[in-house]
Amino acid sequence: MTSKQKRKVKNNLVGYSFVLPNLIGYSIFILLPVIFSFVLSVMEWDGSRNPMVFVGLDNFKHLLEDSTFRISFVNTIKYAVFTVPITVVAALLLAVLLNTKIKGISFFRTAFFFPYIASLVAVGAVWNMLFQPDYGPINNFLRFIGIANPPRWVVSTKWAMAAVIIVSIWKYMGYYMVVYLAALQGISPTLYEAASIDGANGWKKLRYITIPLLTPTTFFVMIMLTIQCFKVFDLIYVMTGGGPGRSTNVLVNFIYDSAFVKFKFGYASAAAVVLFAIVLVVTLIQFRGEKKFVKYM
Amino acid sequence: MKKNKSIGRIILYILLIAASIIMLIPFYWMLISSLKLNKDVFSIPMKWIPDTFHFENYKIIWEKLPLLDFFKNTTKLTVITTIVQLFTSCFAAYGFAKMKFAGRNLIFLIYVTTIAVPWQVYMVPQFTMMSKFGLTNSHLGLILLHSFSAFGVFLIRQFYISIPDELCEAARIDGLNEYGIFAKIVFPLGKPAMSTLVIFSFVNEWNDFMGPLIYLDSTNLKTIQLGIRMFISQYGADYAWVMAASVCSLIPVVIIFIFCQRYFVEGVAASGIKG
Amino acid sequence: MKKIVVFLLSVMMVATLVTGCGKNDASKDETGNEQSEGADAKSDEGKSDEGKKTLTVTTWDNDTTPQFQATIDAFETAHPDVNVEVIDTSADEYNNKLTVMLAAESKDPDVIFVKDMGSLLSMASKKQLLGLDDYIAKDNVDLSVYSGAAEQLQVDGKSYSLPYRSDWYVLYYNKDLFDKAGVPYPSNDMTWAEYEELARKMTSGEGSEKVYGTHNHTWQALVTNWAIQDGKNTVVAKDYSFLKPYYEQAVRMQKDGIIQDYATLKTANIHYSSVFKNQQCAMMPMGTWFIPTMMQSQATGETNFNWGFATIPHPEGVKAGATVGALTPIAIGANTDVPDLAWEFVKFATSEENAKTLAKNGVLTGIQTEESLDIIASADNFPTECKDALKYTNYVFDRPLDENIDEIRTVLDEEHDLIMIGECTIDEGIKEIQERVAEIKGY
Repeated sequence: MTSKQKRKVKNNLVGYSFVLPNLIGYSIFILLPVIFSFVLSVMEWDGSRNPMVFVGLDNFKHLLEDSTFRISFVNTIKYAVFTVPITVVAALLLAVLLNTKIKGISFFRTAFFFPYIASLVAVGAVWNMLFQPDYGPINNFLRFIGIANPPRWVVSTKWAMAAVIIVSIWKYMGYYMVVYLAALQGISPTLYEAASIDGANGWKKLRYITIPLLTPTTFFVMIMLTIQCFKVFDLIYVMTGGGPGRSTNVLVNFIYDSAFVKFKFGYASAAAVVLFAIVLVVTLIQFRGEKKFVKYM
Repeated sequence: MKKNKSIGRIILYILLIAASIIMLIPFYWMLISSLKLNKDVFSIPMKWIPDTFHFENYKIIWEKLPLLDFFKNTTKLTVITTIVQLFTSCFAAYGFAKMKFAGRNLIFLIYVTTIAVPWQVYMVPQFTMMSKFGLTNSHLGLILLHSFSAFGVFLIRQFYISIPDELCEAARIDGLNEYGIFAKIVFPLGKPAMSTLVIFSFVNEWNDFMGPLIYLDSTNLKTIQLGIRMFISQYGADYAWVMAASVCSLIPVVIIFIFCQRYFVEGVAASGIKG
Repeated sequence: MKKIVVFLLSVMMVATLVTGCGKNDASKDETGNEQSEGADAKSDEGKSDEGKKTLTVTTWDNDTTPQFQATIDAFETAHPDVNVEVIDTSADEYNNKLTVMLAAESKDPDVIFVKDMGSLLSMASKKQLLGLDDYIAKDNVDLSVYSGAAEQLQVDGKSYSLPYRSDWYVLYYNKDLFDKAGVPYPSNDMTWAEYEELARKMTSGEGSEKVYGTHNHTWQALVTNWAIQDGKNTVVAKDYSFLKPYYEQAVRMQKDGIIQDYATLKTANIHYSSVFKNQQCAMMPMGTWFIPTMMQSQATGETNFNWGFATIPHPEGVKAGATVGALTPIAIGANTDVPDLAWEFVKFATSEENAKTLAKNGVLTGIQTEESLDIIASADNFPTECKDALKYTNYVFDRPLDENIDEIRTVLDEEHDLIMIGECTIDEGIKEIQERVAEIKGY
């Protein structure tokens, strides 16, 4: 063995030693059940000691014909397409604004972060009341500023999703703001000083220093948000329960119902595999993006 | 130039204050509802300032719910999970961010993508497995389940990546081994990212409802969210009480956040980087 | 590094401060104990430290109704060597939690209160319940006391459960409001049209003072049940046009302001009991499970007004006293480690003796005798003169024993939502129900 090879083996071992404590626990408690449930996607199983039956791709074929699956699929995409970009931009802007030295900064940071720490159960009840179409404060305000027929929000098939998206942005942007704030601490102030000497204004500093240097964070935020959007369940469960009708039914609602109402665990897993595949593709695209951008840093 | 700056500052303040009010309105509503009579919570038109304050609601829920036990259980679960998660995540993140080993990218990709699998999908196989291990209906089971999060690894790794490799290189030349570099350089630099992870796992664990629902049977093991949820199911009509219980569940997390928030500012000042 | 440790310690300190309220040491001890208790319960099932046998029973919302606890207490009194451990879950999540527990095939739970007939069927078909026929034969249990209910619970001719509770719909009313309006109380023989007329008469006031003539909770059952009351149709059908007149009535009553707006009830998640208890409605069709709730509320002084109930109104051409209801069965988990003890509990819970205990609490059981009705009628806080309203002439199940029933109910719920908030017309809704049910059933 050459010394180069030896070093490589040693490097490998050291690397594994860092990863292993987490990897072992993770493999047993999470990866294993996940793999098992993926195997289920080609099976038929009712969650009991009745035997599992191999059905090949039948579950996936049925998904294509299932109107509820189609609706939840479209709803999930709709939810993600609106939530991800708005949250990223809002969180970034807030972080930049709240990274300045002004009085009361702690209060503002806390205020924006506050929704994140509240439990969904309570938050869902409160927002539903605020969205109440006839007497709720939101519509009262809209009428006050001259909108005669404000949307009926959670009791309208057209606007229920919008209401959910608004609450979702309200709740989660504070967390990503904190993530950005943490990342902003890592940017050396000398860069800004140098830029100031060169006569750059605030916008230029943001455009040419802050945003590029935050790319790894943005990458993280985008992936996490995308995943979170595809996994959304609790928020909808407490706000609309998927209704009215099926207008806010999302993929995880569908998966949950398939497993716990219809006892089709294989079918539910097949839907999960579809969800997984989408997220995988989106993540891989963003991975590519990260590599490209990180080079310029 | 200076005048411009102060005008800008005033606009910034106005904007921030308006936005904060919007953010906090639901909490204000929660708080005043918890001080109303049950029947007045949804009275129409809505009252923004109640005529009388019914503080006895808090006394009532204190009597109806074993809140103290719930708090104790939740705190135990939350604190242990957060600590274990923080350390294993940082360790693994260093491996993924600063080391090169065979299969690194593949393992990392698996980590990231399994974040995307909703828990509802593998809930049943996981429970079956835990039941075989005899770990259901115990806090230990829940702690083990939540201590090894792919999310934490991912979050910290993203931060470590932005730490310049030159720093590690320099330390290597100085004769530090990888563990030394991690302990002396990268780990301390990762404080801001760590506090975001602490907040994340603290909040998640504190507010987790489905996990305790499925895994905990005995009343003396149950957590605050489970308690509130059961309370809502049983006293669904008594909204003022539900709101009072929600306010109670919020307080500890708020305290933790204010602590973290202070730590944030201090940590930044100590490392000499200012925003 | 140091800072982190300091920070974490401070977090822990705050946490213990918050929860321990000063008695740090005590809290530490107790958490330690809890863990070992949890371990004990797992390691030696069926035997706790005092040599007592342990029986695990699953219940929902055990704190607010006496329906389970009364039986459990009576059983423990009769069997001092047995310790009954309750696994209580909120009603909404009960079935989900049970699904996960049973899938794991663990020894618990021993005894299962079954929340609805749909889950009875699915658990039986998944072989998660113990067959009771041998026990029934061995102990010569007379099934005739349940007047047919036990047979109706059979799956493929086999008994997996016995009827524990039996509930059906009645019409509650607020006597004080009727007296104030000078209108006679609802009678035990009213058609749905007469009921609507009465509700119209009883509606009064404006804004927050408004009293609605009647109250329809958001359940789809509170419309569809009346459509199946005649026993000619069930909610699993090929043609749902029989729902139309009942939806027309519900929508009309909502439009005229006789019942509270569905959208408001839904968004504010308003519980029916608060509406009735706060005297915001004069009448309310609801199940008999609300009787013990009202009795408890009157006893504790939470409410203080005169109330009563009549038999549920009936469709034109159907005999008065026809009602819709459901059974709450009790069953044994297939993996129980104490099957004999579990059977003992089931037998006890469904016995005539226990029926009397439950009757004292206002709970109606699978055994309906003149005697148990008398006990209920003489219980404290029961509106005695309403005893006759507890009698029915015909009883149909709110949902049939159909393997797809839960799936079909989801469809009915969703379309009910759309019709009641006015997002689609009644005809569109019914057409949609028909198509989606056909998709499920493969018609």
